[in-house]
Amino acid sequence: MSTQTVWRKPPFIKSPIVRWAFYIAVAVYVIGTIATLPIDWERTAQGLTRAQRIFSGAFPPSFERSGLLISGFMESLKIAILATTLGMILSVPLAFMAARNISPKPVYFIGRGTFILARSFHPVIVAIIFVKAVGFGPLAGALTLTVYSIGFVAKLLAERIEEIDFGQVEAMRSVGAPFLSTMIYAILPQIMPRLVGLGIYQLDSNLRASAVVGIVGAGGIGATLANAFGRYDYDFALAITMVIVGAILISEAVSGMIRKRMT
Amino acid sequence: MLEIKNLVKRYGKGAPVLKDLNLSVQGEQLMSIIGSSGAGKSTLLRCVNRLVEPTSGSITLNGTDFTTLGAKDLRKARRRVGMVFQSFNLVDRLSVMENVQSGRLGYISTWAALTRRYPAEDIERAFELMERVGIAQYADKRADELSGGERQRVGVVRALMQRPEILLADEPTASLDPKTSEQIMSLLRDLARELNLPVIINIHNVTEAKEYSDRIVGMRYGRIIFDDKPAALDATQMDEIYAGTPSEDRQEMGAVA
Repeated sequence: MSTQTVWRKPPFIKSPIVRWAFYIAVAVYVIGTIATLPIDWERTAQGLTRAQRIFSGAFPPSFERSGLLISGFMESLKIAILATTLGMILSVPLAFMAARNISPKPVYFIGRGTFILARSFHPVIVAIIFVKAVGFGPLAGALTLTVYSIGFVAKLLAERIEEIDFGQVEAMRSVGAPFLSTMIYAILPQIMPRLVGLGIYQLDSNLRASAVVGIVGAGGIGATLANAFGRYDYDFALAITMVIVGAILISEAVSGMIRKRMT
Repeated sequence: MLEIKNLVKRYGKGAPVLKDLNLSVQGEQLMSIIGSSGAGKSTLLRCVNRLVEPTSGSITLNGTDFTTLGAKDLRKARRRVGMVFQSFNLVDRLSVMENVQSGRLGYISTWAALTRRYPAEDIERAFELMERVGIAQYADKRADELSGGERQRVGVVRALMQRPEILLADEPTASLDPKTSEQIMSLLRDLARELNLPVIINIHNVTEAKEYSDRIVGMRYGRIIFDDKPAALDATQMDEIYAGTPSEDRQEMGAVA
């Protein structure tokens, strides 16, 4: 009796006909897409020289208008802090609502629905809407990033609540604690490290995002950057970019340090 | 006095976990419930304070029928029933004092709970009880810094802070080493006497049950098949409790076999 000595991993699609048909279909689609994509090679070639012009114009970076740079950056920082604070405050109750293990079904759906909606649009799109609604400036930026923070923080926090040790909730129920007291004693301490971690991360993330939403008119350093580009001040734009990258590096390091100390 | 009458608990559509169960507990006795896993011990205990909702039957504690209470009255009534858990169920990240005071959450406002402004008499009582069980020196320590035995003492003190009329302990020693386990059992026995408090303990360790209880109840397949003084529990009874088939179930079981 011969023992089987050859073994191959079963293929992803069992039937060879279906498998090959699938591979060919994918290949045809990819080739077809590239062939029909309206890429103007001439323009792309011109773009290279234009990019070269931008880069040569950007060197050396100009810090001449550093007053504008600092005020733009401070505005971004304010936007980020305000949006993080507001976002965290709104996220906590929303997360409790959206946690399957403590929330009744209708409330759960309202909670989930709210942050799914907040997550479904990219911050830039939300920013465009808010700029239309409340006008150019930092208010639109702060509102945008608040929405952005809710979508992220409430979702992750709700998932954390769903992972808690439910025995503590049971214990609080068994002593006859009212609903809110139960939440404060049995759940809040369990999610606190995550809450603080998310807050730090979100501040970091909002600072970064505030530069992006600024470009569509929502204030902050992004607006300064967009103006610099609009006026072909590439050297100033490079200076702004460098400051943004520096600030993100610093905030990354600081938040990493805080998170390390917390655990 | 705790009076359980015709208690039935059925999860979903399956066979009932508790089958028409009757039990009466009175006075300052320590009663142990023994039985194999799945016999319904835990469900029985949790039905008393309705952490598990009974399907039918009545549970009366000193004149209050727990089974008919609405949400608000149930919350008030739960203050009268202390509970100690196998996995302690302490709030790990809070201090021992906060854990102990959480036993009073049914009495103090949410605001007082949030700001940790506990009434002076509660703090006094907390220190008395913690002194009694030997954990007073840990008041400001975080609960997760304590050893298993110490944590269960916190659990007991938390339950006693309620000034309960009855104490339910759901396998309070199952997560502890044998020596600590005996300490907790004798603590529960002593407290039952000192505070004139009836205590019901679910327990797997039959030797401990016999040593510390005034009364032993044996459960099998959701029924009580033994209810007597520890001395009356002999080898035959043990076999019945851990391997037998209650006479009420014999017919249907026979049909399957």
